[in-house]
Amino acid sequence: MAVDTKFIGREYKPTTYVVGQEKIKEYALAIGDLNPLYIDPVFAKNSRFECIVAPPMFVVVFAKDAMEVLFADNEIKLNMSRLVHGEQEFNFHQVVKANDTITTKGRIKNIHQKNNNDFVELETKSYNQNNELVVDGLWTFIVRG
Amino acid sequence: MSDYKINQELEPVQIEVDKYRSYYYAGASGDFNPIHLDNDFAIKVGLPGKILHGLCTMAFVYRTVMKNNDPDKMKKLSVRFRQVVRPSDKLTIKGKVIEKENDTVKIGLIAENQNNEQVITNGCAVIVVGT
Repeated sequence: MAVDTKFIGREYKPTTYVVGQEKIKEYALAIGDLNPLYIDPVFAKNSRFECIVAPPMFVVVFAKDAMEVLFADNEIKLNMSRLVHGEQEFNFHQVVKANDTITTKGRIKNIHQKNNNDFVELETKSYNQNNELVVDGLWTFIVRG
Repeated sequence: MSDYKINQELEPVQIEVDKYRSYYYAGASGDFNPIHLDNDFAIKVGLPGKILHGLCTMAFVYRTVMKNNDPDKMKKLSVRFRQVVRPSDKLTIKGKVIEKENDTVKIGLIAENQNNEQVITNGCAVIVVGT
């Protein structure tokens, strides 16, 4: 059954995430990115950032909560067993640092059908504690028909 | 990261996905979808077996472009997940400069597995060059 296009524009309750230094390190090790800015506190302290910073792709850790809110939406009811992640885009505006508090707002940007598959696009915008946009994302999920 | 030329190819990066990578990534990212962790479950939903998280492969694409450079220079990264990546796959990630304007360059990216199948297509990175 096609995903109803009436959900285009739906906005979700923002999710909040506090970025931990050790969590950054754990993530950097998991993706094999050993930039010392992410894992070496002394090196990072002496850098222009003056503390550990998160790899840009760490966005998935805090913005993922917005994705889960979409997946848990009982009204749109995406068929999770038919769902695949089709495309992903991130625009990076500012480096995220350890101890930042990131608030992510999710919104359904588009729903359309192609070749019997449903494409659901979730837009996320993540802001730090100073209300500065740090990264926005476009998550395209495909519900296979 | 300053002297990029149009059509210049980045040095390809080869990454062997180790057997446990999807477990590390699940723990670090918080994405515990069983398609990444449980072979039987993955097969039941029509996959060839447990698969790596697409966003982990995307992080490998980031590494290919940026290496240890200042993360602030990465302005945009986008990919299409064309085919699943499996534990023990050997990936080759290739990039090519496709546009250059003022202080930014745009790099087109793909990732292939050991069977020369494209797992990531339509990859695009925009980075700031110079200081």
